Order: sequence, then structure tokens, then C-alpha cells
Amino acid sequence: MHNRTKLYLSLKKLPRGKGCVMFILLAFIIILSGWSYINNTIETGAYNFVYPANFGNRIQIPADNPTTKQGVYLGRMLFYETKLSANNTLSCSSCHEQRKAFTDGRAFSPGVDHVLTSRNSMSLVNLLWGRKFFWDGRATGLEEQASTPLTNPHEMGQSLEASAKKLSQTPAYPALFKLVYGDEDINGNRITKAIAQFERTLISANSRYDQYLRKAYQLTADELKGMELFNNAPQPDKGIRGANCAHCHGGVKTYMELFHNNGLDSIPKDAGIGALTGLAADRGRFKVPTLRNITLTAPYMHDGRFKTLDEVVDHYSEHIQESASLSAFLRGESNEPGGQSLKLLPREKKQIIAFLNMLTDSAFINNPDFTDPHLLTTKTKQH
Amino acid sequence: MKKQFLIACITLLSFTAIPFISQAQTAEKQAIIKVSGEVSTPLTIDAAFLQKFTQTTVTRKDRDGKDHTYSGVILSEILKNAGVTLGPELKGENLTKYLLVEAGDGYQVIFALAELDKSFTDRTIILADQVDGKPLAPGDGPYRIIVQDEKKPARCIKQVTAMQVHFVK
Repeated sequence: MHNRTKLYLSLKKLPRGKGCVMFILLAFIIILSGWSYINNTIETGAYNFVYPANFGNRIQIPADNPTTKQGVYLGRMLFYETKLSANNTLSCSSCHEQRKAFTDGRAFSPGVDHVLTSRNSMSLVNLLWGRKFFWDGRATGLEEQASTPLTNPHEMGQSLEASAKKLSQTPAYPALFKLVYGDEDINGNRITKAIAQFERTLISANSRYDQYLRKAYQLTADELKGMELFNNAPQPDKGIRGANCAHCHGGVKTYMELFHNNGLDSIPKDAGIGALTGLAADRGRFKVPTLRNITLTAPYMHDGRFKTLDEVVDHYSEHIQESASLSAFLRGESNEPGGQSLKLLPREKKQIIAFLNMLTDSAFINNPDFTDPHLLTTKTKQH
Repeated sequence: MKKQFLIACITLLSFTAIPFISQAQTAEKQAIIKVSGEVSTPLTIDAAFLQKFTQTTVTRKDRDGKDHTYSGVILSEILKNAGVTLGPELKGENLTKYLLVEAGDGYQVIFALAELDKSFTDRTIILADQVDGKPLAPGDGPYRIIVQDEKKPARCIKQVTAMQVHFVK
């Protein structure tokens, strides 16, 4: 589209007449050849997910949205498509940047109306295994999830109908939708399905932790100690020190799809799941997010209140706030006999963070399959 | 003009505030358990529902290492009430059914139906609502599965919110 605007501008400067006709013809040839080139390079067929066996096969793909290579490509186009926002400035990628493990580095993100979102932008990773989405888990599938940021007036702010109409008026999308769904009809359902297909491909499985698990990386002394603290529950009577992070962040994916009140506030401003269920036990209960690429996804918590991992570890070590809905396993856990908080030593906190650093997957944040495909098409057109 | 604007603002504000105030005022909702899946009658379990059944006690150690007496209703009695294929019907392909129990924190465990059936085992599995004669602690209750004699407490799932019976695919 950018390219076409440029062409239009240059046309204006040209003298009318034969030269102009020739130029239009030439431009057509360039665009058409560029387009057919792209069209020819889109792979089609079933998409084959590749992931380590220890991630398990409890993957979630709805029967009515099988993953195809062309569907993933369309989803990737849409993920980076600013036409899906009311003022053509925002795309999914505005709040989910690949280099930040698909977060945006902000506590809250501004929408098309410049109003901030009410919760922190979540990292998009290993969603293939996810069953409940958002900080309160209210969406039961990626397809359902995707429609919210697209249509929320404080996010991308455009109805799915309006998005479908805008895409129908572009030269590229009708053909792409035909390639994926068999006909050129563009509708909200097809838009969210394609985005969900792309999101399922965002698999991170090559961090140093993964390499360690497949015996291709040797832990440093601090990383080893950090991992032990991460995995162990504190048992001061047995001389076992721990932070028990794995209670909720355990397993090879560091994600267990749990929802807890982690003691951020005695009286939470945001009730989380409590706002949905009205249950006292759910007050301040939020999703326990993945720790994959955690060093890249600051700030932390549903409201982005912690800027650094040091602050996060300090919170769990010393600042858990008591309330009736505080998750029970966080109450009275301590490395000191009779202690009321974890009381990790400064050195231990650094060791835990050394372990967390191992969860950064540079292959994931640099994976060319996840980058903005519009940049590629612009390049091809210019050739 | 200014006054009118002010009044309009206040009215608007009060409208937006009313739902919040009323939300705070309405008594907290009581926890329930939904029973669904391969059942003939889906159930919604609450305190009154459980009172209709015979109460059974199971004693087991908790994490504190001490014995505690839990009381509640035998799980299979509740499932029979929902029309789950237990007893004489638990044979053939029905033996490939399982009960998925989910907690408020998203934690899930499963039991094969045969693990719950008296004609297969004497081990008692109850849906407890009391411990040592008192309601369960908020972090554990109001409903918790108690598995008699099971060494690890991992399937003594707390804050139960849903139970679903499914066939293995």
C-alpha cells in the first residue's frame, strides 16, 4: 500500500500523454509480477507443529480451525495489519512485539483513543497448549480471545465487520482469504481464526533451559543453585532452602495454567477473576503467566507494577500481602523456622534470577517466521 | 449553563457508579460445583444439596502430618444422582470413562470411574465440606475431595468448582 501511494505521487508529477500511459502500464506490470511472485511463494497444506516431546501433546486446536500453512501466513499478515484498527495505526504487534517476546514494555498500553488498557499486555508464547486466555482466563480459545483487542474501543477499536470491509477493499486480501478458506468472503470469524492459527505457531523451545534439559548445555554454579531454589519448597527443619516457584511455574513449559492471588494487595484494585465470578475466594486471582523469556517481558504482574525481576523476587521473598483470598501455599512459607515470609538471601535472589535468565530464547525472538510479512512484500514489490 | 453541565456530569457519574456500589452491596456469591459431561442429569451442587445425602467421614493425614477427620458425601453417590454409569452399569466401554475434577485455581485431577465404585474398591472418596467438625478453611473449601489412604495428597483437590465425566477419546 505504501508503495502504491508513492506511485500515485510520482504520477502526479508526470506530463499527461503517452508517457503517462506507458508509465501506468509499467507500474501495473511491476505490481502484477510482484503480486504473482508473492502468491506463488505462499506455501499451502497442513501445518506441521514442531516441539519437544517433553512439552506433551495436550495441544488445543479447534476442529473447525485446522492449522494450514496458508492460514498461518494469512494470520501473520493480519497480526501485523494496521487496517484492523479504527485509525489504521495499531496492529496486534503494537502491544505484542517479537523482540520483547510479544509484549510491549509498558505497564498499560494505549489504544486508538489513547486510553490505556486496564491490564498489562501478555506475552504470546506456547499458546498451542493454552486453554484459558487473558489475565482472568475468561476466553476459552485463541479465536475467542483475538476478537477482544480487535474490537475493544480502548485497544484497536474497530468492529470485525468494519475490518472485514476494509480488507475486502485491498488488492491482496481477497485472494489470500480464498487461498485459506476456499472463497473470497472476508468476515470476522475468518479473521480471528487466521490470527489464532498464526499464534499457535509461536513456540519457544530453545532457551538455555531447554538446551539444558536435552543435555546440550551445562549449568553454571549459580544457575544450578537458582534452579534448585526455583524447584524446592522451603523446609527449614530439614535444612532445605527454596522459593517454591515451580509450585505454579513448574514443568518444562514453566506454565501450568493456574490462577492465583499472589499477595500483591490486601484489598486489590482489580478483582481479577473475582469480578467475573463474584466469589470471595477469587478476589485478586489472576493467571499465573509463563516465565518463558521473562527477562524480556518487563514490567511484571497484571498491572505492570514491578519494573524489574529483582522487585518481583523481593515481592515473593518479603512483601506478600495477607488477605482472605491469598492463595494458601503462599501463606507462612519461609526459609526460617517459624518465619512468616520466604526470607531469601540476597545471593539466593541473584541465583534465582540467573536461572530465570536461562528462559530467554533468542531463536524465538529472532525467528524470521514470526516477523512482519508486510515488510517482505514491500521489498519484493520494489525489485 | 455551567450548572446544567455539572448536574449532567453528576448524573452520569452516579449512573456509572451504581453498578459498582450494588456489586459491593450484594452478598458474596456462594461457591457451587457443576457436574456435567457423560451424565443424564447435570447437577449444581451447593451446601443444601449435599445435606440430602448420608454424611460419611474419612480420616487422613494433612500436610501438617496430623490426622484429620473430614466429613462429606461419597463421591459416587453424587455421581449416581447425576446418572453416571456406576454400579451394575460400570462395565464394557463405560470402564473407559473418567471423572475430571477442577478447582478454582485451574488445577485439575482425574479419577477413573472404577476408582470411585464400591463394587471395585472399598477405598472411600468423598466430597468433603467439613474438617474436624468445622467448615473447611477458605483456601481449602468450601468443597474438597478427600481420598482415603492415598499416600500423596495431590488428588485431594481443594476449592472444587467443577466435575465432568468423559469418555477417553
